[in-house]
Amino acid sequence: MTIRRMFVAIAVAAAATFSATPLLAQAKSFTVGVPLPLTGAEAKFGEMEKQAYDMAVEEINAKGGIKGVKLALDIQDSGGKPETATAIVEKFIGTNKYPIVVGEYSSQCSYAVAGVAEKYKVPYLVVTGAADKITQEGWKYVYRLNPPASLYNLGVFGFFENVAKPKTIAILYENTDFGNSTSKAMKEYCDGHGVSVVLSEGYQAGGVDFKPILQKVKSLRPDIVYMVSYLMDASLLMRQSKELDLNAQAFIGGGAGHTLPEFLQNAADASELCMSATLWTPQAKYPGAKEFFDNFKKKFGKEPDYHGVEAYAATYVLADVLKRAKTATPEDLRAALASTDLTTAFGPVKFVSWGKFTNQNKMETLVLQVIKGKYETVWPPEAATAKYVYPVPRWRDRK
Amino acid sequence: MSPQVAGQIELLGQVLISGILLGGLYALIGLGMSLIMGVMKIINLAHGELMMVAMYITYGMFTLWKVDPYVSLLVVCPAMFLLGIAIQKFLITPVMNADSVLPQNQVLLTVGIGLVLSNLALLLFTANYRSVPVSYASKTIYWDVKAGGQTISLSFSYPFLVAFGIAVFLGAALFLFLGMTDTGRMIRATAQDKRAASLLGINTKRITYITFGLGAALVGAAGALLDPVYYLYPQIGGPFTSKAFVITVLGGLGNIPGAVLGGLVLGLAESLGSVYVSLGYKDAFGFIIFVLVLIFLPKGLLGKGRA
Amino acid sequence: MTKSLAAALLSVAALALLPLFVSNTYVLHMLVMVLLWVLLGQSWNLLGGYTGQVSYGHAAFFGVGAYTTAIMVKSGLSPAMAWWGLLLGGILAALVGSVLGWICFRLRGPYFSLSILALSEVLRLIAVNWKDLTNGAEGILYIPAFNSKAAYYWIILALAAVSFLTIRAVMRSKFGFYFLAIREDQDCAESLGINTTKYKLYSLLISAFFTGVAGSFYMNYMGFIDPGIVFSLPDISIMMILCTMLGGAATMEGPAVGAVLYILMSEAFRVFLKSGHLLFFGILIIVIIIFFPQGIVGTLRERWAGRRLRAASPGISKEVA
Repeated sequence: MTIRRMFVAIAVAAAATFSATPLLAQAKSFTVGVPLPLTGAEAKFGEMEKQAYDMAVEEINAKGGIKGVKLALDIQDSGGKPETATAIVEKFIGTNKYPIVVGEYSSQCSYAVAGVAEKYKVPYLVVTGAADKITQEGWKYVYRLNPPASLYNLGVFGFFENVAKPKTIAILYENTDFGNSTSKAMKEYCDGHGVSVVLSEGYQAGGVDFKPILQKVKSLRPDIVYMVSYLMDASLLMRQSKELDLNAQAFIGGGAGHTLPEFLQNAADASELCMSATLWTPQAKYPGAKEFFDNFKKKFGKEPDYHGVEAYAATYVLADVLKRAKTATPEDLRAALASTDLTTAFGPVKFVSWGKFTNQNKMETLVLQVIKGKYETVWPPEAATAKYVYPVPRWRDRK
Repeated sequence: MSPQVAGQIELLGQVLISGILLGGLYALIGLGMSLIMGVMKIINLAHGELMMVAMYITYGMFTLWKVDPYVSLLVVCPAMFLLGIAIQKFLITPVMNADSVLPQNQVLLTVGIGLVLSNLALLLFTANYRSVPVSYASKTIYWDVKAGGQTISLSFSYPFLVAFGIAVFLGAALFLFLGMTDTGRMIRATAQDKRAASLLGINTKRITYITFGLGAALVGAAGALLDPVYYLYPQIGGPFTSKAFVITVLGGLGNIPGAVLGGLVLGLAESLGSVYVSLGYKDAFGFIIFVLVLIFLPKGLLGKGRA
Repeated sequence: MTKSLAAALLSVAALALLPLFVSNTYVLHMLVMVLLWVLLGQSWNLLGGYTGQVSYGHAAFFGVGAYTTAIMVKSGLSPAMAWWGLLLGGILAALVGSVLGWICFRLRGPYFSLSILALSEVLRLIAVNWKDLTNGAEGILYIPAFNSKAAYYWIILALAAVSFLTIRAVMRSKFGFYFLAIREDQDCAESLGINTTKYKLYSLLISAFFTGVAGSFYMNYMGFIDPGIVFSLPDISIMMILCTMLGGAATMEGPAVGAVLYILMSEAFRVFLKSGHLLFFGILIIVIIIFFPQGIVGTLRERWAGRRLRAASPGISKEVA
């Protein structure tokens, strides 16, 4: 059986078992299941990723699909709940017989989905879930495109060693899977490199007033204030730091919240000179990076951040895997996934195992700084688009 | 005085200031809930969602016509008043009239209303985070105190100060309204004993409309005041609903000065707890004080107003 | 054996045969979820529906049950052994229930509801912050013991059936009459010599036990929990009330009807209505509450009873409930 006939057979079977959705009207397509949070508190990211997935699928199909077969994504709303996400994946695997699963947003959901995929021996490509443990369980069918949370800070560590050489640091993190992993990695690094952690506290997302804890940070006078915020807490932290005249050599975010376009709008002048770890910027020197950013902005009227490009790149990885797989069985798809070696708009993708990690894409991470109201890459030097400002001037001395 | 001592004093001072200012906003959220719970004895689980609606109205007026959030209060409050009346009249009253084993139907109804409101917002405005970037968002007034050769520098956030002022004003206005006007007295009478009130010729149905309307308008005001200092998205309501419970019970149902005090206590508990105990347990302090008050001061902190 | 008991046992037997004909894992998954919610609805119904103590904090018991199993596996027990957590989870949940009851039963009506809500939120925050015990927000995950959905189906069916029969037996005993008396008029019950605090506590203990068992099953089945899932106010506590009230509080069948409605309708809405699904679910709740104020079972029963009575003696309609 050729791969095309295989696709056709599976698509027909899927269409027959899942006749309620008219997605698979023509048998000339191959469908992959994608759970995403389209409602609930994480919906913003789900929406951005959905748009990026759709955009990539459109491009791939416009260029003739995968050896003539059209790619289709069956995107289902998980509401950001692991329980619903696992139910969706049970259905993808059990009923729809999709031989590969891609997606989800949060660490919690990705982790839960990975558990299901591993149980049924169906390959799963994690796209944005960052908690370390997702690729530390020794699972065979779980592959991750984004680096693990503990490596989000690699760029920041480089910056510390070569430029900042801080002596003290205060760490504030959101009490979620991502916040815990990232801050833990930062703490371990600091303990191992003689940086004294003067404060490390987790908070519930959604607080209105961080001033009390920021005032405590102020009284401890750390060199660096490091924050891990998933969402808009990032801008509140910066705004209120400014209000309290809390000064440090640098304010550094751990990714996510500090890299959102909304951060610049909401924090306004309080975001100026704030740094953040990030995985990607539109200025990254990967083929297609800038095109993705521009096209996305044109098409949807808003700027994507690294989550968008991860979804976009994941679709290309998927297309590449389907192209190379011998047959469309989970086993062959897994084999094809394992031998991926592709450069995407997000960066090079190759799954390797080291230390406790398995099937993990390894990549260099960057440091951004808001300079004159725009995100500029400031570290590592070879990727920099602007010179870093360090130490940052005191709030009252600015302008 | 050593710099360390000065630093500790500055920390304590700033924490108290933050707690009190935040408490003012909380009080406003609690006032509406207190009024509704006092009169109708129902738990309004859509309270936070009503606030969310008000935040989107404020946001819309700011982005479309550049209306300052404080000015838009003049539109937001009446609009929320009408929305409250509509919800009470067309949804809650019909259910209240029906005989049921448990009085919880109205509460579940508010769960449904909350779901509808937040998901309508999701469809209309998408899940994107919005903010109202007013020029004074992080404007701050500094107050430097010199003592014992050290400078203690305290800061007051301008939008929080304004919110606090308006909250106090609205609380006082509501207090006077309930105490001085006929409608206000009728509301209080209904809260004390609905049946007796209706025997005395009070149109209690109309009173419940007005009460729910007022409750919605008050939490609407809180939403508008929160806009400049916070951000908004469709799911923002939930945590504020549980804060409103805490405040209401701290103050005693339907007790207006109590709700203001409850807001301040919650604000202070959160800010003191997050600094001197643990940031992670910040939200637990409110709940623990809440349960303690329930048990030891069952009539609320001010000890009256519970029917 | 009464007719209704025979009917109940027969339907359990019929349900037990189902996996022999249904092999689709997704369908079985939905059935497991329905039965889980039947169990949860029944547990809540005993305390909330029959005893009239409306709890907004049952997630506390669900969470304690789930974490009991999770921590057993985390500390080295094999997932197969973790099934003992079912019993232990129930017992621990009942213990926590007795503490919560001791505190909250000093209060009545909405004050009870809110105080138990507050304490369950405190438990959630403890689960988030006590990282050594619970892994905090990272949650606990393991690959469950069985691959076959049918096994889980049978287990949850048995649990739901046991809880159904237990609660039915309780409601037919002296206890049941005390519970109803407390719901109808606590002061009156007290004056008749019923130690209301004691009996409310009994009701809570049974209710918390089964909720804990359900939580423990949830962990065994899903293989992943975090504090935000199992201690959730909107997704567990409120939905337990919703499930019971939609079906019909203080009826034996109500929670089952409510569970079917809640799980199947929300899934159908999610699949067919895409991102508008919660909007329609909200509208569905509003419509049911307005048109079925006693829940589906309660209201239908009332109408049928009313019709029969009206046919027999015109003029009487409302006094039958």
